[in-house]
Amino acid sequence: MTGSLRGRTAVVGIGQTPLYKRGTAPDPEMKLCLRAIVAACEDAGIPPRDVDGFVSYGSERNEGQKLMPALGTRELRFGALIWGHGGGIPGALGLAASAVVTGQAEVVAVYRSLAEQSGARLRVAVAQDDTAAQYLVNGVDGPVQICSLRTQRMLEADGVPRSTMFALAQAAYHHAQRNPQAAAYGKPFDAGVYEQSRFVSEPYRLYDCSRENDGAVAVIVTSAERAADLVDRPAYILSAPTGAAGGWGPLEENHRPYASSGFEAVARRLWAESGYGPGDVDVAQIYENATGMGVGAILDHGFCTAEEAGGLLTFENLIAPYGRLPVNTSGGNLAEGFVHGMSLVTEAVRQIRGTSVNQVPGAQLSLMTGGPGDSVVSSALLGSGATR
Amino acid sequence: MNHNSPRPIAGGIAADGLYWDALEAGEFRLPRCAGCGRWTWPAHWRCGECGSWDFDWTALQPKGVVYSWTRTWYAFDRTRERAGDVPYVVVLVEIDGADGARVMGVLAGDEAALKIGAPVAGTILAPSQKAKGYPSIVWSVQ
Repeated sequence: MTGSLRGRTAVVGIGQTPLYKRGTAPDPEMKLCLRAIVAACEDAGIPPRDVDGFVSYGSERNEGQKLMPALGTRELRFGALIWGHGGGIPGALGLAASAVVTGQAEVVAVYRSLAEQSGARLRVAVAQDDTAAQYLVNGVDGPVQICSLRTQRMLEADGVPRSTMFALAQAAYHHAQRNPQAAAYGKPFDAGVYEQSRFVSEPYRLYDCSRENDGAVAVIVTSAERAADLVDRPAYILSAPTGAAGGWGPLEENHRPYASSGFEAVARRLWAESGYGPGDVDVAQIYENATGMGVGAILDHGFCTAEEAGGLLTFENLIAPYGRLPVNTSGGNLAEGFVHGMSLVTEAVRQIRGTSVNQVPGAQLSLMTGGPGDSVVSSALLGSGATR
Repeated sequence: MNHNSPRPIAGGIAADGLYWDALEAGEFRLPRCAGCGRWTWPAHWRCGECGSWDFDWTALQPKGVVYSWTRTWYAFDRTRERAGDVPYVVVLVEIDGADGARVMGVLAGDEAALKIGAPVAGTILAPSQKAKGYPSIVWSVQ
């Protein structure tokens, strides 16, 4: 395919700080950011000064030019932010890949850093002051209430069963029990805990909602040629499109289709560019700002229809190592922690490397879907040498 | 009518000033493209269908059906004005006769018949502290 990014770049380094309880990070946001990027460089075997591209998304404020003195950057050749909020994460990989393939940069750091002490309450920071009056005037502050309106429609009008939401939460907490870095490590979770937890905004209970953590996460993207010299198992970027179909965007709940997480157009491009389909995916990291929106992302990517959702999205099917579609194998935004979803990228890479604490044996195709329901969204499919 | 009064909430694209001006005058108006007649909501600056830059802000009855809803049990940071009302229900209403255009609002009165598809009617409220100094519509199930 002319102009395709398929397999021409790879993630060669991953780095992340501990995911601290919100407001408790020992370092300010920019220092966390630097720690994650340096760790990702060390993981890749690349000197930090070689990073010449910087890509992030949402309200990230640690622009590359601010980091240059601390990294010893020789020349910043590419820097950009994907518009939107958490929807842009996998697309940030695609933007980095575009820069590398077109020769604009050679080594691109993709990263996100959040710390409450340096910034606002995270749920406010991620909303970026772009919530329209129609919401705020009517008692709707932001993300979780908006997700609630959409998910209620998915449940009540489209007939997707609530059991799918619980199953996604249960799988995340199950996986977190094997991840000592996870916020929910050592904290058992079952239907009783879930059903007794308070409602935040119906249909969402506390355990349906992502956490808020201080921390930073970074990955390093470079060319497939250089990747082969650097690491044993590069995670090749097979496709990482960003976008929104007409009828989608910042439309104050006038989106069409409404009971959707907004991925139909992006998913079509993802499967077309990569040459794979949902049936080929070995493991998926599904950004869940709230469980039902993650369910919507799975539907949007064609893994099942609304009618089939109750059958596919069960605890047994969603867990590693042998479920039909293991998801959020480090615990995800619900149970591992939340740095605006960026830790899902590092986990998607670990699955290709074979180093996840909940490894899917022989995983060759690893999906990551970005913040569902955002005004623009993105997804990425990572592959091994065998599926490149 | 194509002038917009400045309003304090900066999050949207700021093309909806006449919506709030109309509510403040006790009227519920939504914009229709002056060129092709398409309802263009949320308000924008140009009709993407026919290219017109002009809109007729057309009066409607504040009536419709519940398109979706949520009952909020938490006083969120930026809507603390409503902390005393928790839990409260917000409905997303598909307006009758406006090609599927939807607006939000708090539900007042009996919640027993609340469901998607339930008919609702709105009452326009004067600017209030709860609504951040804006006029608003509260809805009730009919």
